[in-house]
Amino acid sequence: MEESEDVPKDFVKLKCEKLSVDEVSELVVSPYCGAVSLFIGTTRNNFEGKKVIHLEYEAYTSMAETEIKKICRNVRQKWPSVKHIAVHHRLGVVPITEASVIIAVSSPHRTESLEAVMYCINTLKASVPIWKKEIYEDEYSWKENKECFWANSEN
Amino acid sequence: TVTLCGTTVSVLYFARSAELAGLRCETLSVPREITSLQLWEEIVKVHPRLAVIRDQVIFAVRQEYVHLGDQLLVLQPGDEVAIIPPISGG
Repeated sequence: MEESEDVPKDFVKLKCEKLSVDEVSELVVSPYCGAVSLFIGTTRNNFEGKKVIHLEYEAYTSMAETEIKKICRNVRQKWPSVKHIAVHHRLGVVPITEASVIIAVSSPHRTESLEAVMYCINTLKASVPIWKKEIYEDEYSWKENKECFWANSEN
Repeated sequence: TVTLCGTTVSVLYFARSAELAGLRCETLSVPREITSLQLWEEIVKVHPRLAVIRDQVIFAVRQEYVHLGDQLLVLQPGDEVAIIPPISGG
């Protein structure tokens, strides 16, 4: 039986429709891999005692895709055995409990994909131009990731 | 004011900066060579309400991050300059 080479691939998508864990994990599954690791970022219903009605995301889309692809390149340098990487991020309105981001990584053994998934979400929060607005009952707030590499720095 | 050796760039506004400027994109004539801080000051002349976020923002020029400061930019016609408030993806 001829196996395809299963060339390592990065799947990066920003979309307004509901994200699918099945779809994202199936993208990275490989016959050469014994592990698929996943991170799902979901929306919480409260922040500092205020009720969150929903979230709204916007992005500098072209640059966000480029920055996520840079993250994928860095993953492959740090963990060369990683096979496929998928990062799907939702834009627009995201209702409570639905996923804002899903990251999936496959590798032959579990350590690399688990570490790579953590690296992906941490670095995404530090460097990808995507913004979240929390909508409360009477007001809203633009959130700021503590990981943001320039915020709170002296200018 | 007369702008010598100027060029026209596309300025993109996101999140809070889009709310303060009241728009998402526009073209702006600026000097071809300009520091990132001077570029910020040119933009604030057009949209004074942006001044309140000066300490929180960074630029993306041709999709590379640039801090507000002394870095000299060499701008080409049609370059994208984005105002990037603190991010919150993920």
